[in-house]
Amino acid sequence: MARHRKTFTVGWLYPDLMNIYGDRGNILTLLKRAEWRDYESRLFELGRGNAKRMDEVDIFFFGGGQDREQALVYADLLETKQQPLERAVASGASVLAVCGGYQLLGHYYQTGDGERFPGIGLIDVRTEAGKRRFIGDVVVDAGLIDLQPTTLVGFENHSGRTYLGPKAKPLGRVRMGFGNNGEDRTEGCLQGGVLGTYLHGSLLPKNPHLADHLIRSALRRRGIMDLAPLNDATEFAAHEKILSRAQRF
Amino acid sequence: MRRAAAVWAGKATGALSRISRLGGGTTLPGDVARAIDPDVLRKLSRDLKQGAIVITGTNGKTTTARLLSWLLEGAGHTVVSNRAGANLIFGATAAALERAGADGRLDADWGVFEIDEASLERAVEEIQPRAAIVLNLFRDQLDRYGELETIAKRIEKALARLPETSRAVLNADDPRVAEIGLNLDRKPFWFGLDDPTVALQELPHAADARTCPHCGASLVFDAVYVGHDGVYRCPNGDFARPAPDLAASHIELNGFDSLSMGVSGVRIELPLGGLYNCYNALAAFAAGTQLGLEPAFIADRFRSFRAAFGRQERLEAKGRHLNLVLSKNPAGFNETLRTAIDLAGGKYLLIGLNDQRADGTDVSWIWDVDFERLRERAKLVVPAGNRANDLAVRLKYAGVDAAPPESDPSRALDALIDGTPEGETAHLLCTYTAMLDLRAELVRRGWAKPYWET
Repeated sequence: MARHRKTFTVGWLYPDLMNIYGDRGNILTLLKRAEWRDYESRLFELGRGNAKRMDEVDIFFFGGGQDREQALVYADLLETKQQPLERAVASGASVLAVCGGYQLLGHYYQTGDGERFPGIGLIDVRTEAGKRRFIGDVVVDAGLIDLQPTTLVGFENHSGRTYLGPKAKPLGRVRMGFGNNGEDRTEGCLQGGVLGTYLHGSLLPKNPHLADHLIRSALRRRGIMDLAPLNDATEFAAHEKILSRAQRF
Repeated sequence: MRRAAAVWAGKATGALSRISRLGGGTTLPGDVARAIDPDVLRKLSRDLKQGAIVITGTNGKTTTARLLSWLLEGAGHTVVSNRAGANLIFGATAAALERAGADGRLDADWGVFEIDEASLERAVEEIQPRAAIVLNLFRDQLDRYGELETIAKRIEKALARLPETSRAVLNADDPRVAEIGLNLDRKPFWFGLDDPTVALQELPHAADARTCPHCGASLVFDAVYVGHDGVYRCPNGDFARPAPDLAASHIELNGFDSLSMGVSGVRIELPLGGLYNCYNALAAFAAGTQLGLEPAFIADRFRSFRAAFGRQERLEAKGRHLNLVLSKNPAGFNETLRTAIDLAGGKYLLIGLNDQRADGTDVSWIWDVDFERLRERAKLVVPAGNRANDLAVRLKYAGVDAAPPESDPSRALDALIDGTPEGETAHLLCTYTAMLDLRAELVRRGWAKPYWET
């Protein structure tokens, strides 16, 4: 019997420029985990000048870049991506933004000299440059309701200090590592369908429960409430490896 | 007086370190001597009768240094070199110390030093080299080095301070290296590959630094050789690969066994495999000719070259051939995988990933390596190293049916030997300390010599 498979679409913002910390791992994890549930996974590469079919995207991914590349995407983000992205999120699409992508979705990034670069204000966060770089393994106790286990693991490498406004909830609290700003022990943010975080490593391969949370949230708008369970023993063994470092910490 | 004390203290430390089996004595003596006399390397470098060459870049430093030393030694010169991959300023100092005499003076013709990208400024200042080679700039260990851009700017500063009579020998095929060279006051000596038949169709995932330094447009590649190294141009005409002063053409690759190529009217044949080694050989060739060696002599001398520790090192183990290949970042890993699978037809592999400081503590980069290449082609893949679990996840998402992850080097080696039929070749692709761990186990089993004896 010929069957029309359901599609699942990931939109990767600036795959050639914002991909510094193994961000391809997050993309592969989303695509594969949908495929393993019999979805037809599609990847839209949304480079500079390309904002086509952004309304078909279920999950947007926005990774980190070097300063030089980040400066290059900046104008394009404001010109061609901001509006379609806002519309997509309003209609229920999810966004995962890591490191530089996380910062650019907030209100602004303020340099050490006090110069402010406005972000697109999709999330109620602001970022200021810090002197010391926060580098190392991170373990987060996440406050998401449907996350089991409740921990997230990853690696951080950032000098920006991100502070959350009242509309943004923290993704969780750091058990090990620095998180958003090294002061309030929060890490990441959740606001509507947007999840911002400093965790890479890559993030989703070692946190398959978070990957599924994102997929589930994005598919909910299409009336799909359930995802078939997968065998994640390999993924959680890698997760446990970092968790065990927090116990020594 | 102070210099002699520094030299002697350093030499004693090296001897103790080797006797006590703490290691090869490759950097600690440098620490000790520099603590006594911070100018010790500057002074020792001045003793070199002909001068020194420094080599930097993300990948290929050790092999290129070894190739160049091999050429100079073949021409009857004595050469001081930091051979064990100890490429910080302390390692270079230690190498010079080891060869210094009882009077604290260095009796050698040439110094050939591989220098860590982040240490080049200091090395140029202290060593005052006759030539500086920059091989490539790939994304590597962001937790340790920071962004590529920062490293590139530091290298540019170092090259700008080369002595008047010195020459920068640069890879024209690397866009970021070319950008550095084009900013220098004195024109560098450019080398590059010129053979579209060995080029890839598209940029691998690990590629970076692909935008025009002037207008920011994404560069167009007419050929991709290794990582983002190839023949590129800005679509708006603002920037392009500089024309090489020395080019390699008619390249032939024979697995991990050998390569051959035409350079300056001679045929180079080298018992090293992989397209990435064409760059290393070409860089050594370029520097050699700049220092006065004849192309025909270089070609002849290359034929009898032997690889450095863990760089395509061959061992025998219970009737299996082992091939140890250091693979430490996405660009390097993609090339060693390509050589192992596509060129050498490898079917049995051990992939070793550690997250010690020397490897990089952030392992995200494995997601930029095209492990998909192994899918349905490798018969055995053993994920090893203290981050074997992360590799196992990476291989799962690459669709590779891998063996269970094995962090213990001894058990990982057993799994590899057990799964490789007698007479077959197993390729061990490992990060730096994962290689050290495996090699220590190979030495313990009597299958390899300690690395400071190789």
